[in-house]
Amino acid sequence: MFIQFREKTSKTLGQQFLQSVWQCCAMLLLAVFLGFSINQFRDNRLPLFDDWSMETRLTTPSGVRLEISLIEAKNLFFQQAAVMIDARPNDDYEKGHIKSAKSLPWHDVEQKFMEVTKDISVDTPIITYCDGETCELSHHLANFLLDMGFTNVRILVNGWTKWQHADLPIDKEVSD
Amino acid sequence: MTNKRKNLSRFFYHSARLILGVIFIYASYDKILHPKAFAEVVYNYQILPGGLINVTAIFLPWLEILMGVFLIVGVWMPGTIIWCNTLLVVYIGALCFNLARGVDVNCGCFSTTKGSSISIETILWDVAFLTLSVYLFFVVFGSKFNEGSK
Repeated sequence: MFIQFREKTSKTLGQQFLQSVWQCCAMLLLAVFLGFSINQFRDNRLPLFDDWSMETRLTTPSGVRLEISLIEAKNLFFQQAAVMIDARPNDDYEKGHIKSAKSLPWHDVEQKFMEVTKDISVDTPIITYCDGETCELSHHLANFLLDMGFTNVRILVNGWTKWQHADLPIDKEVSD
Repeated sequence: MTNKRKNLSRFFYHSARLILGVIFIYASYDKILHPKAFAEVVYNYQILPGGLINVTAIFLPWLEILMGVFLIVGVWMPGTIIWCNTLLVVYIGALCFNLARGVDVNCGCFSTTKGSSISIETILWDVAFLTLSVYLFFVVFGSKFNEGSK
């Protein structure tokens, strides 16, 4: 009776395993079929492959390169010719930021955009930055500002770290 | 098992199934409507190579919606539950990975628009969904509801 039970159980488990495998494969194939066929017929069709390289992402559709070097950014900063905008969340900005930089967190951009940019003319050089080589907040913010009509927007990639390592002026929260 | 306990177990099973089903459908529809924005979200996680980003953004929301529908209707439960557990584990792993390395990305969990950056709270929500999914796994692959899971 015990053996019979074991045989019955193992058969059921085996069947269940096979059933799961074919169902998983069928669901994946169905999702791929639905996704790709509907994508072919939609207006906002997504190409199967895009160029997601950093170089492409730092270049506008008209071919203007958005990245600015630390030296260029430093020169504009000391000439007081550019507005630095920090795209990180407000907590990070409060802990420390490039001296006199404005805070416009990407996640709150729609609420804070008008208030932060009201004193900036559209042709003023603007440098956006965040932290980390892979940080996308400054890219998103730069593209948003370009869409909003600002004509001279650049990105200092990994700006916060680079700025600190170069011992350039910062405002930092004083810890107790 | 008494009838009362059986009914209670059935109630939990069907509730978990419906809750997870609605969550997956809700999570997928915005991604289906805005494939480009979802591809951006996938890119921002900085995990997949460039060649897989658009492909993933095209099929993944459809897999989620299929899972949601199948959970609600109650068909192909073994396969659906395996996908639920797999995807939730992958999502939690991706969230933890980015949170640990300090990359501030839009979660993209329920919406492709900005404003929902990843946090411990996001991970806890996903862990709660995974708990439901693991519960369903044990129910479906246990003996109690085999007849209802085929």
